[in-house]
Amino acid sequence: MNLTPEQESLGRRNFLKALAGTPALAALGVAAATRGPMRGGRVKVAWLGVGGQGRALLTRMDPAYVDVRALCDINPTSLAKADEVLAKNKQPPATHYADWKDMLAKEDIEGVVMAPPLWAHADIACGLMEAGKHVLCEKMMAWDVPSCERMLETAHKTGKVLEIGYQRFYNPIYQAAYEGIVKAGQLGEMYHARLVWHRNGNWRRKGEPPSKDYDPSPWGYPDFEHLLNWRLYWRYSKGLLAELASHQVNIANWFFGAVPEAVQGTGGVYRFKDGREVQDHVYATFEYPQGRTATFSAIESNAFENYYEMYMGTKGTLIMRAETDALFYPEGDAAHATAVEVAAKTSGGAALDASESKPASQTSTGPAPASGGGESAERGIASRNEVSRWAAAIRTGAPLLCGPEKAIHSARACIVANEALQKNERLKV
Amino acid sequence: MSSLSSTGPDATRGGSGRTPRALTRRELFSLGRTEEEGHWIRIHRAAMACRFEVLLDGADEAHVPAAREALDEADRLEAALSVFRETSELSRVNRTAAEMPAPVDADLFALLALCRDLHARTAGAFDITSTPLSRCWGFLRREGRLPTREAIEAARACVGMSAVLFDDDSRTVRFRRSGMELNLGSIGKGYALDRMAALMRARGAAHALISAGGSSAVALGGRGAGWTVDLRSRQVARGRLARLRLRDGALATSGAGEQFFEVDGRRYGHVIDPRTGWPASGVLSVSVVTAEGALSDALSTAFLVGGLDVARRYCASYPQTLALLTPEGGRTGPVVLGAFAGAQVEEA
Repeated sequence: MNLTPEQESLGRRNFLKALAGTPALAALGVAAATRGPMRGGRVKVAWLGVGGQGRALLTRMDPAYVDVRALCDINPTSLAKADEVLAKNKQPPATHYADWKDMLAKEDIEGVVMAPPLWAHADIACGLMEAGKHVLCEKMMAWDVPSCERMLETAHKTGKVLEIGYQRFYNPIYQAAYEGIVKAGQLGEMYHARLVWHRNGNWRRKGEPPSKDYDPSPWGYPDFEHLLNWRLYWRYSKGLLAELASHQVNIANWFFGAVPEAVQGTGGVYRFKDGREVQDHVYATFEYPQGRTATFSAIESNAFENYYEMYMGTKGTLIMRAETDALFYPEGDAAHATAVEVAAKTSGGAALDASESKPASQTSTGPAPASGGGESAERGIASRNEVSRWAAAIRTGAPLLCGPEKAIHSARACIVANEALQKNERLKV
Repeated sequence: MSSLSSTGPDATRGGSGRTPRALTRRELFSLGRTEEEGHWIRIHRAAMACRFEVLLDGADEAHVPAAREALDEADRLEAALSVFRETSELSRVNRTAAEMPAPVDADLFALLALCRDLHARTAGAFDITSTPLSRCWGFLRREGRLPTREAIEAARACVGMSAVLFDDDSRTVRFRRSGMELNLGSIGKGYALDRMAALMRARGAAHALISAGGSSAVALGGRGAGWTVDLRSRQVARGRLARLRLRDGALATSGAGEQFFEVDGRRYGHVIDPRTGWPASGVLSVSVVTAEGALSDALSTAFLVGGLDVARRYCASYPQTLALLTPEGGRTGPVVLGAFAGAQVEEA
């Protein structure tokens, strides 16, 4: 990444970062896909797999759209934490299940929001749809390509709504960047996108089993460690390419209006040799038609660049940073002089803070943000929209913004990328 | 649910067997926001030693190219008007006008004539010849220092709009004394904003908030009650002094809270009173709203220098002028003088 404009915009980045954490912005979430009561009433749902990501969705969901009747997880600790989320959001308690088939037999539900480990996606999602339930399945779509295809076929066959949880599609900043920059042709011809997701830390999670005699082996996990850290083992996971790259490849497909034709990669377990199987450093090159290339890197040894997607066109550069802001730099003489930013409005905030003149080094004239923290409001809004739009799709046939037809392409590309990386070959997608 | 009832060209169908309808652009953009909320598009660039910015509502994204053109106009005007550019037209005038009448192009001549008129209308509080004083106080390089009395008097001898001779027929200006110079620092940004607004209007933009340095802003249109602008001064209060709703008007704010120096506990701000040769005092912050950016810019400086007296007299004589002055000490809220049809003032 060319760091000069990056460094120049440090102040702006800090501003937007802080803005994203303000309580005023969090209120944006109320303005989800639609307002007011939904025709046909709330969708009766269950939440399946209430680990970190499942609970994140549960935290962000809008109760005007979904009525959470049941919670399903094989880990009682996760269920207890999900109870707390419901209570905190002033929602009535939901019935607990360990086995989703047991839940199906007993609960009157229309749909399921599911976020179990990747290897379980296809069997559960297809089982639910076969049983007449609509499904919102956390990304990546499934563990292998045949499983993805099975999910897509089952969705078509049953006519049930299947959405895959790529929240960027439901993030207003991505929609605005696509409409205003990409689709409007402001990037010119695009030949390269850089997808970066850099972190500095061990992916391994720490946690105590729910009880001393807790035995997850009936569910396919030899011990609690394998359940807790399923992302680190090939049997359950597709590693960084599935957990991180698939988000960004999915957007590259959208912005390029195409899907990868071939991929090559390299990587390995270089830093955390602690018995994990999936790499802690991954580099992949995705080849698109018409000479377009997206490179992806995920490293677990340096977080300076954090995560972003940079689209480089003949007329300009678009940077989508950390799901919270969009920056645009036109090419040409004033290449880095003019910046176009898309930023969420703060509710009740002013369009401009006017005061006596400030020198150019004080970059923003936008309203001074409260010093923030906490999770990005945009991500919260995106997840909330995602669940609400899925509910709206069930009630009215409203369009999904991603859908399995798109999600399968990014899944396939990332699955093949893993193979390419392991075989050290260039593979057709 | 009406905004979400079907399938657009870019959308994947959910469910089955329902008749699709194209999703409108507005519907797509209504994702995650209400009418009042949504997104700003800020197009900005550094010019005239500050940040020039065109703020558009997300719904007006079609005007981004016009905004860029408007920023090009700011660059062009800086090149013509800045005394920090040796090649600018104004620098050329400053180099030659003491020797002989300097011809000036029509636009610049009109702007200089406005400065002459404003000097008269504000009893000399607004004066574009005060650069020798700013230099003597060190503010041109942002290195303020206390000068000797002799230095101040020497600088004063080179200051005074009455010593600038205008010939309207030949469109020339001439300085009565050598050592004089014109500086549009207290009006140039507002003037540039006016030109940018005119350009954007001509390109079909109905709504934009164009600003420079956070101190000058021209509102093109404004939905509902208008653009919400908070007036702030770090010197006066942590929170906002007042909130304005602005439609089709120009705002400028002046103060000496950002650029100043202190000697023996006394504070010397960067705005020099051309009538005395000493930094203006008595008013902490001034905001002015009129129909024109250049006018608002000039008046905010004039009222900071001239205080409540000059501001009162001006607002009584010239309609469509709104001024908010926060005097040193005394009451907490700003004193509101006059009125502007497109501006509503809400107290903090």
